[in-house]
Amino acid sequence: MRSRAWFAPLGAFLVWLLMLGGCVGRPEGEPVTLVFKYARILGSADPLPGLLRAFETAHPGVRVKGEALPWTSDDQHQLYVINLEGRSPGFDVLMLDCIWVPEFARAGWLADLTTHLTPDELAPHFASAVTAGMYNGRVWALPWNMNVGLLYYRTDLLARYGLRPPETYEELIAAVKQIRDGERDPALEGYLWQGKQYEGLVVNVLEAFWANGTRLLGEDGTILPEPARAADALRFLRGLIEARLSPAWTTAADEELSRRAFGDGHAIFLRNWPYAMDLFQAAGSAVRGKVAFASLPGRARGAAGAGSTGGAHLAVSRRSRHPELAVALARHLTSRPAQRAIALGAALSPTRRDLYHDPELVQARPDMPRLDGLMLAGRPRPVTPAYLLVSSTVQPEFSAALVGVKSPERAIADARGRLNYFLEGIR
Amino acid sequence: MTRREAVNRRRGILLMAPTVLALGTLTVYPGVWVVWLSLQHRHPIFGVSRFAGLDNYTFLAVDSRFSSAAVTTFVFTVTSVALEVVLGVTAALAIHAQQGGRRVALSLLLLAWAMPAVVTAKLFEWLYHPTAGLLNVALGGHALNWLGDPRLALPAVVLADVWRTMPFVAVLCYARLLAIPAELYEAAQVDGAGRLATLVRITLPMLGRILLVAILFRTLDALRAFDLMFVLTGGGPAGTTETITVYAYRALFQTLQLGFGSALGVVVFALVMAVAWAYLRLLRTSTVTA
Repeated sequence: MRSRAWFAPLGAFLVWLLMLGGCVGRPEGEPVTLVFKYARILGSADPLPGLLRAFETAHPGVRVKGEALPWTSDDQHQLYVINLEGRSPGFDVLMLDCIWVPEFARAGWLADLTTHLTPDELAPHFASAVTAGMYNGRVWALPWNMNVGLLYYRTDLLARYGLRPPETYEELIAAVKQIRDGERDPALEGYLWQGKQYEGLVVNVLEAFWANGTRLLGEDGTILPEPARAADALRFLRGLIEARLSPAWTTAADEELSRRAFGDGHAIFLRNWPYAMDLFQAAGSAVRGKVAFASLPGRARGAAGAGSTGGAHLAVSRRSRHPELAVALARHLTSRPAQRAIALGAALSPTRRDLYHDPELVQARPDMPRLDGLMLAGRPRPVTPAYLLVSSTVQPEFSAALVGVKSPERAIADARGRLNYFLEGIR
Repeated sequence: MTRREAVNRRRGILLMAPTVLALGTLTVYPGVWVVWLSLQHRHPIFGVSRFAGLDNYTFLAVDSRFSSAAVTTFVFTVTSVALEVVLGVTAALAIHAQQGGRRVALSLLLLAWAMPAVVTAKLFEWLYHPTAGLLNVALGGHALNWLGDPRLALPAVVLADVWRTMPFVAVLCYARLLAIPAELYEAAQVDGAGRLATLVRITLPMLGRILLVAILFRTLDALRAFDLMFVLTGGGPAGTTETITVYAYRALFQTLQLGFGSALGVVVFALVMAVAWAYLRLLRTSTVTA
């Protein structure tokens, strides 16, 4: 079914490209090779090679070399940093995690795309994805795909006890207690999330901050503007583990560890990204047809819940020898037909809002329309060129509060102290 | 100096030149450059590049993350090297005492050592898996939070390191055992030495120098330990498995604090040099007395 669903959009896309092909002229001469750096796409079918070939067809004399990035985000970042700081002309178009865009723009490694774009060109994308590609009021990267933190829940278990998906953490805790009392299954965990000391921990803590009405960086750049509220959020997360509402191993859990446990049917609730849904609904999954997602909960008498956004952008290297063509390739890959093909062939969610209501996409992924509203409500992580410095500084402090070797107040105070020192050094 | 001596000396210098040149460009130049960087505030992203004097080092002196990393590095080095030596010698003696199947035993032993550290780390990640891991299944209902408990995480990393590098010590010792002349044992037997006396008076002393070499290599490696903890825990939980090298990596490559990160690198370098120097002295004196 999936493989046949492929042809129609691809065919339409090729026709569209043939029409586009006539528009972009290029002086005759040597064949040009563009290098596109991207992370391998997981999913039923990798649509990328087809999209790159389509670009070549539309631009005779241009060859596009897709080069895979290393597997982990840390390694990808390191590869970029070494090559870009070393002024290597090794690649033209690069896939960036959205948290790197301000950093790379500030370092002067990216080409300014603002003048290449028509005024309304980015309007069809989620506003938060567009913002994530901007720095100092200029556009440095085009939104490519998007992520948002979701609350997954077991529909069968909630229905058995007549429960609706929780809107606050207080409701979630009550639901966990009621279901576990009724099920009497010692292997059934309550709420799974990511507490390992890594970037995912920062995302989870940020979501707890937001639900508690505070943030990591204030509007004016102050660090942890409301330390008491932030400490309270950390204490709440620690409390989940202490009360066994979340398993002890939450402090070692990343996305996959928690996703597997939930996918094996061993938990009621899970915080994760949209990619998990495809795996839960895959043939042979223990929870197939028993899973749905909702917005992350808020706190009673606090703010409504919001998931953290993530995703990838496409940027053009300032060292590219063919900036015009590179921009054309980035635009081509972020175009509506390309994002549509990627959403159909891989489990990546588009940044163009109307695709969430595209009939064929909705048929292949029935949760798309619901995802639209949740993406829209999602909040970005702090948009600052010092993001990695901020994140890697707070990670051990947040982790220390979660495992209980530091009080939440101490952890927040230490995080503030260290961040103030480091950020002072780059002013 | 005769003419012949002068020619010899010139030829000697000429023959040494390529080595000196290679070491100079590949080791001394980057080394000096890192020390120079460590005396600066250097952030390429923010265009910051100014002389800092000893600022980076004075911050290290009060940096709790650094002192925690230093303690972790120390504990990791001492416990992993000690366990590797004890287990390595035991394994070597066991294989040496075996009648048959020595080759099979050696090959199995080397298998663990031949594996890249990252593969070992991934392997142990599964062994330590909180719900489906072999270790926790073997422990029955007492599921331990291996990589998420601040008291267990460092021992878990040490265990993985011991499993991986104990064979290195074992193989070195085994080779030495083969070279101990049989007459020594025969003489001991004639003198009526028991098995324990033979082990303590003959075998272990004969292993002494090769053990010193093994410990030197292992200590230098352990002081720079990076890949196992980086893959298994990322330095967590609460930074309890973050060594100085992991901290330096985060500062240098993740957050591009080139000055501060270089200061961390210089500290690791000084540490390794000090230990190497101490061992080499020990090795030299033991050569003289032997």
